[in-house]
Amino acid sequence: MNSASTSKIRIEFNDRVVRQFVTASIFWGIVGMLVGVLVATQLATWQANFNLPWLTFGRLRPLHTNAVIFAFVGNMMFAGIYYSTQRLVKARLASDVLSALHFWGWQFIILAAAITLPLGLSRGKEYAELIWPLNIAVAVVWVVFGLNFFWTLARRREPSLYVAIWFYIATILTVAILYIVNHLSIPTSWTHSYPVFGGVQDALVQWWYGHNAVAFFLTTPILGIMYYFLPKAAGRPVYSYRLSIIHFWSLVFLYIWAGPHHLLNTSLPNWLQSLGILFSLMLWAPSWGGMLNGLLTLRGAWQKLRQDPVLKFFAAGVTFYGMATFEGPLMSIKSVNALAHYSDWIVAHVHSGALGWNGFMAAGMFYWLAPRLWNRPLHSTALANMHFWLGLVGILLYVAAMYVSGITQGLMLSATRDSGTVLANPNFLDAVTSTRYLMHLRALGGTLYLAGFFLLAWNLFRTARGAEPVNGSVECLEPAAASSGAGVFSAPVVYTVLLIVAVLVWGAGRGVVAGMGFCALLAILLTALTHQQASGARWQDWYERLLENSLPFSILTAVAVLIGGVVQILPTVLINRAESLEGVRQIPYTPLELAGRDIYVREGCYNCHSQQIRTLVGDVLRYGEFSKIGESIYDHPYQWGSKRTGPDLAREGGRYPSLWHYQHMHDPRQISPGSTMPNYPWLFTQRTDFAALPKKISVQRRLGVPYPEKPDAEILADAKAQAGALVAELQPGGVQIAGDREILALIAYLQKLGRSEPVAKTAEAH
Amino acid sequence: MSHTPLPSDGPLRPHTYDGIEEFDHRLPNWWLFTLYGAIVFSVLYWILGFQMELASTPEEALLETMRENQLAAARNSGEVSDPILWKLSRETQTIEAGRATFAALCASCHQPDLGGGIGPNLKDTVWIHGGQPIQIHALITRGVLEKGMPTWGPVLGQNKITEVTAFILSHHPAP
Repeated sequence: MNSASTSKIRIEFNDRVVRQFVTASIFWGIVGMLVGVLVATQLATWQANFNLPWLTFGRLRPLHTNAVIFAFVGNMMFAGIYYSTQRLVKARLASDVLSALHFWGWQFIILAAAITLPLGLSRGKEYAELIWPLNIAVAVVWVVFGLNFFWTLARRREPSLYVAIWFYIATILTVAILYIVNHLSIPTSWTHSYPVFGGVQDALVQWWYGHNAVAFFLTTPILGIMYYFLPKAAGRPVYSYRLSIIHFWSLVFLYIWAGPHHLLNTSLPNWLQSLGILFSLMLWAPSWGGMLNGLLTLRGAWQKLRQDPVLKFFAAGVTFYGMATFEGPLMSIKSVNALAHYSDWIVAHVHSGALGWNGFMAAGMFYWLAPRLWNRPLHSTALANMHFWLGLVGILLYVAAMYVSGITQGLMLSATRDSGTVLANPNFLDAVTSTRYLMHLRALGGTLYLAGFFLLAWNLFRTARGAEPVNGSVECLEPAAASSGAGVFSAPVVYTVLLIVAVLVWGAGRGVVAGMGFCALLAILLTALTHQQASGARWQDWYERLLENSLPFSILTAVAVLIGGVVQILPTVLINRAESLEGVRQIPYTPLELAGRDIYVREGCYNCHSQQIRTLVGDVLRYGEFSKIGESIYDHPYQWGSKRTGPDLAREGGRYPSLWHYQHMHDPRQISPGSTMPNYPWLFTQRTDFAALPKKISVQRRLGVPYPEKPDAEILADAKAQAGALVAELQPGGVQIAGDREILALIAYLQKLGRSEPVAKTAEAH
Repeated sequence: MSHTPLPSDGPLRPHTYDGIEEFDHRLPNWWLFTLYGAIVFSVLYWILGFQMELASTPEEALLETMRENQLAAARNSGEVSDPILWKLSRETQTIEAGRATFAALCASCHQPDLGGGIGPNLKDTVWIHGGQPIQIHALITRGVLEKGMPTWGPVLGQNKITEVTAFILSHHPAP
């Protein structure tokens, strides 16, 4: 270029923080996968729970999921985003202080999670178990990340935003919204809180969050990373710019609506279930758009896969993404879901995503980055290739075992005979023992995958050891300021917003209102097209202008993401709970039962036991009348669960004598031969925290649970009296136990499950 | 970034990002068909299923299915009576089938030898709820919820309950 007229400067990137995130990701990845292998072993061999509270499955499974999602993929994502963004916008990360704060803040949170989760400090919601002080820390660090990122965008020297950046913007905005809403809670102590939503509302918010943690934490950032690292590694141009546009916008708009497919055939209102199904079906093509753009970018580079481990990992990772995102819509079909839900099929699905897509994209990126970050060729390409094959065989073993197990469980537990009036396998344990060998196979698959990751760690350690870390740099013209705010009120943005409003009126309204919405939709569409024709404007010109303005782009992304949440969640959250639905209302827990429920949450019982009887013949025959909305309406948090490693407990109360539960919690195999449930000996020695009850009950009352105002002493006396009665009930069975032991509170809770009172039916919200 | 062009390569977009170039290929037809097809299907499903309320609710559908199943089962059911149950209680095959079910589901409270534990003894002559074979059969079917005896009817079905009753009776002398 003509260096004579413009001054050139050299920008050095902040690659130090990238190296830190890469190292942290590998370290926590190995920790998370080690815990994964341990919990897999526990499902095969109950003895691996070691009779120790902090090593039981219920407490470690949350550690495993949180570690691989937030620690392994989180750190990997930050490394990839920071590395690629600096280069794509030709600017160093805006602030070294924010970058360091981001890195160390995130590691502190992970460390705190690794300590608190095994201690049983949990909010009792999947992937949202961390206690409230840590929730605040996560939100703060995420804001630091967002500030650092958008500030860097504001200082960019590359005016136009590349597709990877679109995905990063969607990630940062959406995760912030999801995380904050799903973690709203009221503390009862420094380590305990109750979520503000209860029952069906909590279920809906939880899966709006949970599903989109998959979408916007495990998918969109990795797609952005794919768009940067895959063409780099393949040396080929991206296949299609227009595919990028269509699949980005359809993906971020549609994904957010699909959460209710985690709650099919439950007491969630039917219109929400159907929206969940339909939007999941519509998601298939947008997801495959990402896969196609990845795989077709490899056209002309496939021969490189033979030698290059990086491309091997990327090609396999993108393929796993395609398989998992085809399977997702399939599993969202109600009749398929009836078989798959609560079974190991779901476990197979998430692991083909987590191990295949996330794990392999991470490995490919690390192998590509290491030589560039440490300025030295990779220690061993052969080892990296071996990692690939070990990992691939590991995944295939894992998912094959879980598919067979899941379908076996689904078929066995729903099978009936005598014209569908009697269960074919009345004993739940039949399904457990029939799939036991598959649990061993799964643990083996996981171990192979972990072994592959050890090879990666060793390979990168040898590459980096003694090497001189190097920071990338770029030479560019100064100054080239980027604009950000222009175009917010351009015609297409205004039309888009109007169209969305019209569709909402049409979809949510009934009768005349819906008709008006539909007419308005047509009118706006016609006006917009006429306007476009008359002005001679072209969409691509407008879109390219949008790409040079990060503010309207971010606003449109946020709007696209928010619609689904607003439509699905607001009507459900705003309903009046006192007018309980479907003719039954839950009887609030007594103080002792509430204490027992907190023990149930602490031990993570929801990881294996659901509390929701679906509207399916097999469920009703096995567990009783299907669950109604009103029956869990005061549950903060809801405990519907997502997996049945053991039977459903929604109507457990009164099913067995208290002595049954007493012996069962002490040694499940004494009552149920072949059970894989851990022993809970500590519940027989630890004392119930009676003193915390008055505060807990006052928080529950603030959340709308109808507890009468009572003096603290009376609450304590209530709890102790109920425990005393339970002691007396157990005595004839030869049990001698002090009235303050946790087991009594837990039994009181279990015996309460399913107890509700009839109420007059009121007009149900549609 | 320089690359070896392929015959099927289209024109590149003018802009590059950190050396990354982009084609602007048109989208595969089958992909577009999948996208538009899913959207059209969803809109139709929503209008037909909800705004016009053609589909029955899951609860209605479930109750209807279970009612039909009950009717079908009633047609196929065999009879039970005291003499039939006493007769079966001397048949090895029935007793063995009853023993297996008893061991899996009943023994945790009544003990494998029927000696009683959490639940009452079943081999003595004390019958709290009546000792006639048909009474035992009925009791297992409906349970005694206030005493912690589950309702086994919908779980085990008539045939299995008959086997379990025969197994219990096999510990008692036939009249």
